[in-house]
Amino acid sequence: MKFFTTFRKKSPWILHYNAGSCNGCDIEILASLAPKFDLERFGVINTGNPKQSDIFLVTGPVTYRSRERLVELYTQIPEPKVVVAVGSCTATGGVFRGMVNTEDGIDRYIPVDVYVPGCASSPQLIIDGLVKALEILEAKSKEIEKPFKLFGAIETIGNKLSRLNMAKKVHNDEN
Amino acid sequence: MTWIWILLAPLLGGLIYGGERVLRARMQRRQGPPLLQPFYDMFKLLDKRTLIIHAPHALLAVAHFLVLWFTVAAIFLGWNLLYIIFLHLFAQILLILAGYSVRSVYSHLGANRELLMVVAYEPILIVVAVGFYLISGSFEISTILQGGGYWHQLPLLFVALLIIVPIKVKKSPFDVGEAHQEIVGGIEIEYSGVFYEFLYMSRFLEYIFIYSFVFLFGGESYWLGAVLVAGTFLVVNLVDNATARVHTADMLKIVYGVAMSLAIINILGVLL
Ligand code: SF4
Repeated sequence: MKFFTTFRKKSPWILHYNAGSCNGCDIEILASLAPKFDLERFGVINTGNPKQSDIFLVTGPVTYRSRERLVELYTQIPEPKVVVAVGSCTATGGVFRGMVNTEDGIDRYIPVDVYVPGCASSPQLIIDGLVKALEILEAKSKEIEKPFKLFGAIETIGNKLSRLNMAKKVHNDEN
Repeated sequence: MTWIWILLAPLLGGLIYGGERVLRARMQRRQGPPLLQPFYDMFKLLDKRTLIIHAPHALLAVAHFLVLWFTVAAIFLGWNLLYIIFLHLFAQILLILAGYSVRSVYSHLGANRELLMVVAYEPILIVVAVGFYLISGSFEISTILQGGGYWHQLPLLFVALLIIVPIKVKKSPFDVGEAHQEIVGGIEIEYSGVFYEFLYMSRFLEYIFIYSFVFLFGGESYWLGAVLVAGTFLVVNLVDNATARVHTADMLKIVYGVAMSLAIINILGVLL
């Protein structure tokens, strides 16, 4: 409903996932949640639970180990949702680009709405990115979003998108 | 008039919760969310797609909320204190059943801890009710509110109640049942969208439930009651900001060791 849509940007709850980052960006995210930068003044809560989150904050270049968790967490977030990629390595691979055990950036697996650059990116940039994400969040619809760029066809049951079957595909694709 | 208060109870609780978030932010010297933040959260949750595990799981959350609302209504109507405590227990049991009804390990862990919390605070609540009975001669809230002098005669009982308030409002050091980032909210974990909203709102009602026990200590003087509630509110939040979460077993030890002995000493003192 139109009335409720305006409240999306007033209460963004975030889920933070580390897809194999060096921990630099995670610390910056925690710094922006801490008293000095105080993200909670925008209503942000770090829920740690995908089913209750709106914004998916990902750091790291997606190691092979973390791929299936990344996609599973993404599919468990109910729409409307926004993905914010924090750090250079999340966007392009950064310092990990071309390594044997990592992918180059999370947008090979899930659609990204906001890229926050920097290695490590600063709390100011992260807050900027989140505020940008809120605009996108408000404009989004409640349609189920399709998580895959790499794993081909969309799985359906009947004519509905199936989260379970799509998550299963990631499981089966070992390296 | 009472009915209006009953209908508005979740909103009132929401304001308390919003005020608490602001207060905690100020204690940490930051700006904090706006006062109406809990309502923004509620409206946003209405706008989310809802993922349901299975129907009873979702409905138990609704039932938990409704029974809790009924409990708060009973408080406002001045019913028997024992009924109210057991109605509240019933609401908690619905929630615990919901926790056990899904396969998530965290949900089970949360339900276990919730059960331990019930075991910890329930006897104290009953002893508090007994204390009121010994002084005023009745379990009826309307009668208790006409008496006075609970504050002088039951000081240790008040301290015992103060120890269990953080358990009920899920604050440090006794927030084991929810324990964000450790068991990810416990029972709440599998809820989303509208059904999570019911759990979110039932937290508001818990605030009213436990703080009305504090309020009763004021007796006929509502001003004293209000001062006690405000003081408790401050102390609980101060302790919440200053302490870390204790282990579940330690929580039981503290509650049974300290709070229970204080309560029993006080009751014996009144009896003898
Ligand atoms: S962008 Fe740089 S600092 Fe941030 S996680 Fe990647 S390597 Fe670490």
